Amino acid sequence: MLDEKRSNYEWVDVERGLVSREIFVSDEVHGLEIERIFERNWIFLAHETEVPNTGDYVTRMLGSAPVIVVRDADGSIKALLNSCRHRGAKVCRTDSGTARNFVCPYHGWTYERSGKLITTTFDKHFPSGFDFGEARLPAVPRLEVHKGLVFGSWNEDVAPLTDVLGDIAWYIDPFLSRTAGGMEVLAPPHRWRAKANWKVGALNFVGDSQHILTTHVGPLTLDPVRAARAGFATAAENSFQVTTDQGHGCTLTYLAPGLPEDAYQTHPQDILPLYDKILSGKQRTLLDRLRVIVGTIFPNLSFIETQVGPAQKAVIIRQWQPINGTEMEVLSWVLAEKEATAEYKATVLKNGFHNFGAAGVFEQDDLELWASATFASNNSISKRFPYSFHTALPYIDAPETDPHWPGRVFKPSDTEVAQLEFMRHWDRCMKSNAD
Amino acid sequence: MNDVPQNFVDNELYFDVQRFLFAEASLLDRRQYDRWVKLLADEIHYAVYVAVSREVSAEPVEYAIVDEGAVGLRSRIDQLSNSKLTRAENPASQTRRFISNIEATSDSNSTEVQVVSNLLLYRGRPSIEANSFYVGERQDLLRKNGVGWLIVRRAVRLDHTTILDGALSVLL
Repeated sequence: MLDEKRSNYEWVDVERGLVSREIFVSDEVHGLEIERIFERNWIFLAHETEVPNTGDYVTRMLGSAPVIVVRDADGSIKALLNSCRHRGAKVCRTDSGTARNFVCPYHGWTYERSGKLITTTFDKHFPSGFDFGEARLPAVPRLEVHKGLVFGSWNEDVAPLTDVLGDIAWYIDPFLSRTAGGMEVLAPPHRWRAKANWKVGALNFVGDSQHILTTHVGPLTLDPVRAARAGFATAAENSFQVTTDQGHGCTLTYLAPGLPEDAYQTHPQDILPLYDKILSGKQRTLLDRLRVIVGTIFPNLSFIETQVGPAQKAVIIRQWQPINGTEMEVLSWVLAEKEATAEYKATVLKNGFHNFGAAGVFEQDDLELWASATFASNNSISKRFPYSFHTALPYIDAPETDPHWPGRVFKPSDTEVAQLEFMRHWDRCMKSNAD
Repeated sequence: MNDVPQNFVDNELYFDVQRFLFAEASLLDRRQYDRWVKLLADEIHYAVYVAVSREVSAEPVEYAIVDEGAVGLRSRIDQLSNSKLTRAENPASQTRRFISNIEATSDSNSTEVQVVSNLLLYRGRPSIEANSFYVGERQDLLRKNGVGWLIVRRAVRLDHTTILDGALSVLL
């Protein structure tokens, strides 16, 4: 049984701003995370626009378990364990498709989209009184949708999704659902493997402003499709970080004053009026002069809205799927408003991938550095030296007293508060869910 | 082959195209980007596609993970080739491109040749002591340019549904 004391440091020492390296490389900790976090929490499965029609399905992971996410005939979305009750074969062996029902290719056990067993094709050989109703394809017991995001939980008793999202919903809604039609995915998820622990990505997106100018010096110097390059070097004073009680967080960076006026036209001008019909007050003004919002919904769903051209924003959601202690699979979706023109969507998708994706000019440098951090951390000497989160310390107990925004708001936006609070919540989950 | 296209190029042209593709791959392996960009037509379109795993009977689905015109491609190259601007390519990846299974077709009197080839790209990452392969099919459109060629269009369709070496900072 893993004992955190063996690693000389607590896993997360909020008081001293230190986080153990062990938890970023250990396969044992990974196993505990699967049990204590990924099988207890709400975990992102898909965007509902990925399964628009009856029978449409995609295959995903919920923790370490493969699942089928399918649109049923009554319009509901269901998630089923993708492993036959007979001898475990994957019932769906493809990433996506359409099915009237699910037929296991091994022995022909056939299930409805709800998971109910229709026939084993050898029903007559089962003992009399056998409960075929029990031999269903197990359903993910809880499934809820928030503004197009489909979440599932293996934990029957998990609190409602709305409660678990809490204050972070106020921040993500203006990016996930700001027109009557809502957002849609523009392509299937782009998938790649990264040689780093899933938490490295989650932390980077919850609030790592400090890496932007060094890691991403390349695209910031060069990128021709970016709108307000001049404004990139300085964040406006009103930029801030947010953390919430459920472990979620985000960072909002606003454009500095004094830029040419067209630099402040951050969103497509023809769609902007549609936002006014859905968003109001502070949620609407959240978007004004916003250079970038980036954040993580605990545990492993991150999002970013970023400038990809003059008056063009890409909204990207992505999941850091844990594979083991030192590896993750990243799934990344680019979204745009359903009402946008085909041309705008094509540009957003293209420019979104120019920046973010396995070949993205931003992402490739993150991936290289994360891999090098993993490589250099995974030995007993390195593990004697916990990671530094010190720049959270002067601020973490002093959120803004009159914040105007929900959650705990922190300024300035370039400290490690959001990251340390994410780790604090991780630690809480790992300890409180221990058996 | 019973359905031989009428417009296979003749042997001389075939070797000319092959020699060009090998020389071009060598420029990229040796990171001689300044010389390589001179081989691109002004209207160059460069794209990399990934397929989604689907039932054989279902409609295939693919999407572009790279989709660049001249400006976007140029900015990628400027980043890859400048040690101050890249982390993924400093130290540089060690690459070796193998181009094979080349087939070239051209309509008569045309200055353009369509080329399909297999790409095997070995990629070593000295910074983390890792190496990997990218494999795919290239579809190129080449245009005669004096004694040489320009690349008008390149589409690489990778034989991966998940990019196993995620930091795809090399040109395919």
